[in-house]
Amino acid sequence: MAQEEPERRGRQTDRSLTMSRAMVEAIAHEMRDDDEVFYMGEDVADYGGIFDSTEGLLEEFGRDRIMDVPISETAYIGAAVGAAQAGMRPIAELMFVDFFGVGMDQIYNQLAKNTYMSGGNVNVPMVLTAAVGGTYNDAAQHSQTLYGTFAHLPGMKVVVPSTAYDAKGLMHNAIRDDDPVVYLFHKRLMGIGWLPAPDGPKTGVPEDEYTIPFGSADVKREGADVTVVTLGLHVHRALEAAESLDDDGIDVEVVDLRTLVPLDTETVRESVAKTGHLVVVDEDYQSYGVTSEIIARVAEGGLDDLEAVERVAVPDVPIPYARPMEDEVVPDADDITNAIRTVRSNE
Amino acid sequence: MSANDERVAVDTADVWPDDADEDEGVVVNWFLSEGSRVEEGDALCEYQVEKVSVDVPAPMTGTLDEIILEEDDEFERGDVLAWIRPE
Repeated sequence: MAQEEPERRGRQTDRSLTMSRAMVEAIAHEMRDDDEVFYMGEDVADYGGIFDSTEGLLEEFGRDRIMDVPISETAYIGAAVGAAQAGMRPIAELMFVDFFGVGMDQIYNQLAKNTYMSGGNVNVPMVLTAAVGGTYNDAAQHSQTLYGTFAHLPGMKVVVPSTAYDAKGLMHNAIRDDDPVVYLFHKRLMGIGWLPAPDGPKTGVPEDEYTIPFGSADVKREGADVTVVTLGLHVHRALEAAESLDDDGIDVEVVDLRTLVPLDTETVRESVAKTGHLVVVDEDYQSYGVTSEIIARVAEGGLDDLEAVERVAVPDVPIPYARPMEDEVVPDADDITNAIRTVRSNE
Repeated sequence: MSANDERVAVDTADVWPDDADEDEGVVVNWFLSEGSRVEEGDALCEYQVEKVSVDVPAPMTGTLDEIILEEDDEFERGDVLAWIRPE
């Protein structure tokens, strides 16, 4: 079969996928390879996931491995933790990350801690997926982007893809990891018909498996004047801002963190050492979040490199339902553009 | 025979959802670009009818010669999505 290889490689470069299809492709691949991998969650079987996170999997794998569950996050996340400790590799979907509250004992006290509390006698090789993000008027209980909440609690790896290519490689890595991984996907990046994505997340995706190691940030755009550190949807908004500033002669570097735990501090510091100017952007609440953590890490290891810093995040209010108000609090490309101009204003 | 005569249309009516009441759709995503080689059954694109998303498989192996309906284009059932030049 070796002579088929060049042709297959050629086809890979032709094909682009939405982020949801790239995730599903990785999940299906792992399920074919390992009978212990299964997926459980609300509306993941017949409906294919309300954000297309499991589209088509029921047809191939059946109801024993693609499982709809009752609306009880405590019960099914707890079941997934138990299955993982017994040697299986569950993927459990928290439909909206906002629903974490009812299952948090299972997430925070069991999933995250059991490896430590058992002295390493059990591990919890499961993936908890959850949809994050707003910008489509779903109000305060369905629009949060709780990067900081999950990254703050020790014991879990936290993954946030921004493109289809990254989403597939990170999903392969997440399922194979022997530790619990929280995989947060932004609704607006999935590429579904009723919730249009920006152009960026749909990328070329190889048909073959590949992994992207955790803790490796990706420089999505190189630049000399300002470093923008961000993740998820806001990678694309930062790239748009960078493009708009190009004409004004401000050369912006965009660093996509890709994982929050482990965090690739080195890539961030190297970029700031080059540009001297840092803007951190995310869609979580501003206080006690990703923006403060990134700035602290740069300050700890490279205070001398830092000439000016700005952060762009959601002000500390619940996400409003009204469209103009939601648009006001969720950072867009103009907000990032303004922050970049401000951070350069002393030049 | 001119080159154009050899091309085969990808027809939007071929994979219309059975229970759809409407005859209008919108293209949501293309997965391949013009000039790509396709194999029969490969997903070319998806379109949406009412709230149902429909994958359009390549009707034959060949080259995706021309895309007629781009992303976000609205169309009537039976319009030509694209042309494929068979191998």
